[in-house]
Amino acid sequence: MTDGLVAADITHGFENGAILEDVSLGVEPGEILAVVGPSGTGKTTLFRLLAMFDRPDSGVIEFDGDDVWSMSDARRLEVRRRIGMGFQNRSLFSASVADNVAYGLRVRRSWKERVANAVSGVLGPADYDEAVTTALETVGMADKASRDAGSLSAGEAQRVAIARALAPDPDVLLLDEPTSNLDPRNTAVIEAAMRAARDRGIAVALATHDMQQAQRVSDRTAVLLDGTCIESGATDRVFESPSDDRVRQFVEGKLVY
Amino acid sequence: MAIQRRRFLQAAGVGAILGLSGCTGDAEPPQAADGESGSQSESGNGSSGSKQELTLATTTSTYDTGLLDELNPVFEEKFDATVKTIPQGTGAAIETARNGDADVILVHARGAEDEFLKEGYGVNRRDVMFNDFVVVGPADDPAGIEGMESAADAFATIAESEATFVSRGDDSGTNKKELLVWDASGVDPVGKWYREIGKGMGDTLVQADQSGAYTLSDRGTFLATKSKIDLEILVQGPLKGGPTILKNPYGVIPVNPAKYPDVNYSLAMAYAGFLTSPEGQDIIDSYTVDGSQLFFPNALSESPQFGQYVPEDYDGGGNASASVSDAQFEQWVAENVPEDF
Amino acid sequence: MFGLGDLNLTYLVSITLVSLYVSTAAVLVSATLGLPMALAVSFRDFRGKAVVTSIISTGMGFPSVVVGLLVLLALSRSGPLGEFELLFTPEAMILSQTVLALPVLVSVALSAIQSVPQDLRDAAFASGGTSTDVALLVVREARYGIVTALLAAYGRAISEVGSVLIVGGNIVFSDGTSFTRTLTTAITVEARKGNIETGIALGGILLALVLAVNALGARFRDRTPSGGRR
Repeated sequence: MTDGLVAADITHGFENGAILEDVSLGVEPGEILAVVGPSGTGKTTLFRLLAMFDRPDSGVIEFDGDDVWSMSDARRLEVRRRIGMGFQNRSLFSASVADNVAYGLRVRRSWKERVANAVSGVLGPADYDEAVTTALETVGMADKASRDAGSLSAGEAQRVAIARALAPDPDVLLLDEPTSNLDPRNTAVIEAAMRAARDRGIAVALATHDMQQAQRVSDRTAVLLDGTCIESGATDRVFESPSDDRVRQFVEGKLVY
Repeated sequence: MAIQRRRFLQAAGVGAILGLSGCTGDAEPPQAADGESGSQSESGNGSSGSKQELTLATTTSTYDTGLLDELNPVFEEKFDATVKTIPQGTGAAIETARNGDADVILVHARGAEDEFLKEGYGVNRRDVMFNDFVVVGPADDPAGIEGMESAADAFATIAESEATFVSRGDDSGTNKKELLVWDASGVDPVGKWYREIGKGMGDTLVQADQSGAYTLSDRGTFLATKSKIDLEILVQGPLKGGPTILKNPYGVIPVNPAKYPDVNYSLAMAYAGFLTSPEGQDIIDSYTVDGSQLFFPNALSESPQFGQYVPEDYDGGGNASASVSDAQFEQWVAENVPEDF
Repeated sequence: MFGLGDLNLTYLVSITLVSLYVSTAAVLVSATLGLPMALAVSFRDFRGKAVVTSIISTGMGFPSVVVGLLVLLALSRSGPLGEFELLFTPEAMILSQTVLALPVLVSVALSAIQSVPQDLRDAAFASGGTSTDVALLVVREARYGIVTALLAAYGRAISEVGSVLIVGGNIVFSDGTSFTRTLTTAITVEARKGNIETGIALGGILLALVLAVNALGARFRDRTPSGGRR
């Protein structure tokens, strides 16, 4: 019985061979777990399973010790709503920045409230939860709340997407290559937001192909290679004395995919 | 006015019609909310709440000439009824009635009417009125048919010279008559000069005018359209001394209530009665377009008119024949149609 | 007005209202049925999906007179739905126009919905949205395309003549108010009488209506995304 989000013995894939094979890893409250590995190694598939997009072919996804796929749909929805997620690609809705960040809060409301809110939103400016402002402040975007999301730069859009994941105050934050296309300044803002989330007790899982980023921000690192988890442990330990030879090559930049 | 207001309401509250069967589209004013379908109440009882409805399937010639606009309001007033007129070709009108979708028909194709009666779909046919058909064509008359006394000969001449001929081709009364004349001419109209266009009489006249072609038209529609086209009458109908084959009698036939119990038979009979009454006949008699009388009422006569109750070619036990009925018709024309028409 | 001298105002207004009423109702019914259909087809994977999609796009080109004849057969008193006595009523016209407008609406809406990036659906789901929320989000993202779908369906319905002539019966009451006569079927009457100019003038009214509806749609579309719905 562990707190946090755990993948246990996950095998998943299509007919032409498994994408993930027997992967086990977990992320606990108040830590950042980096899942590293070259592109196409199954990180995204793993994160989608953790976010309950799909049910794994075999193995168990546990949230706070409960198998999420043996609980009721209603309960699983509740669990899903304890998890926030950021994506590699631009994923903002065509609406204002504030509307984007408020989306997760809005879907959690009752239909009655949502209809009433929609009506009042048409009649006059809607008042947003403080949570929206707080989340935007975390990524330094509070001053652009009323901007149209379509007018943001890639970096700003990614920061807003992370604010959107943070606004409902999740217990788990899954970030799939959130900075892979960004400049150093936006990357730094997002890394700071990750640390702040960890410090508030959120379990943060980060998928990245950037070893230096993993080393910079994570507490623990799991290395995924060809759909298998070949090494995991404290980040310092994994980077300083990897037990697997391929990890050493990868860390040293010699294993190129 | 009530109806028009209802339209506004419907247009405004359009969301409420999503249940199609909830609104059967009766033309009753909104105050008729007593659940009565309207067709049960007696006519002329003064309660404006539930008007009876009569669905009349008719030929375009009665409608487009404006005759029904004169007749129907008087009937509606008299019987506190609403007439829903569906203008179609004669063939389509008879088909509509055959499916039980009309209460009464007013058409002009005696052969098809007889068949309709024989099959038991209609009852109590009455002659109402007639006019005649005319062969029209371009003023320069390329086939040279002007003044011919036989419509069949005129058609044969057109076919021989392969001058363009436009046919309604829509199974209307006019189309049926045209085919009858071709039949009499002994020519099978085939070739690029013969064009079936499947349109109404007015369109057909316009198209014939545009393509310098001949066509057969009822006199009423031709007169009503004359000002817009350059076609001229080349072979007159029997109203002006032309061949009897071009006569164009209109009949009214209520739909058989034994076949379709839902038809409003009593109102249909009332309509047939109205058209053939002195009042209805007077309206027909006095209806003119541009000073020309379009239809001649023939429902009322002191002399026997047995022909309207029996099939066209019925020999009445050997005494009557088609030629006898034609002779009677010619005599009737001589007596009743003014010389200067 | 141009060439409308011999038509009185009551008549013009009432055939225009019948046109608007029938087409608007048909588009509303089509939207009620068609948007869920488009969502279902684009979200769900099922056997025969390709067949369904091609049936829908075939339906766009379905000849309106054939639809009219089929509806006539169904609604005739001697037909299967004869007991409802719907033939020659505005509701019969709504039915046939719905059959015509639905495939147009579904096709255009479907391509709009399918062009919403998968990333946005994922983001809605990962934000805690239910499948209903995801569907609503997709509709919202595809709203321009859906408005286009509604306009295309409206255009198909209001300019259609073949089926409404057959199932509506082209009825005008003797006081000059229309029961089932629309602008398009009124044009056929004028054409039949040889009144080409009057017919063209009626066509002008029809064109103006279609333009007005499109302008309304364009106005909705041109509202900025964030300003439109905050």
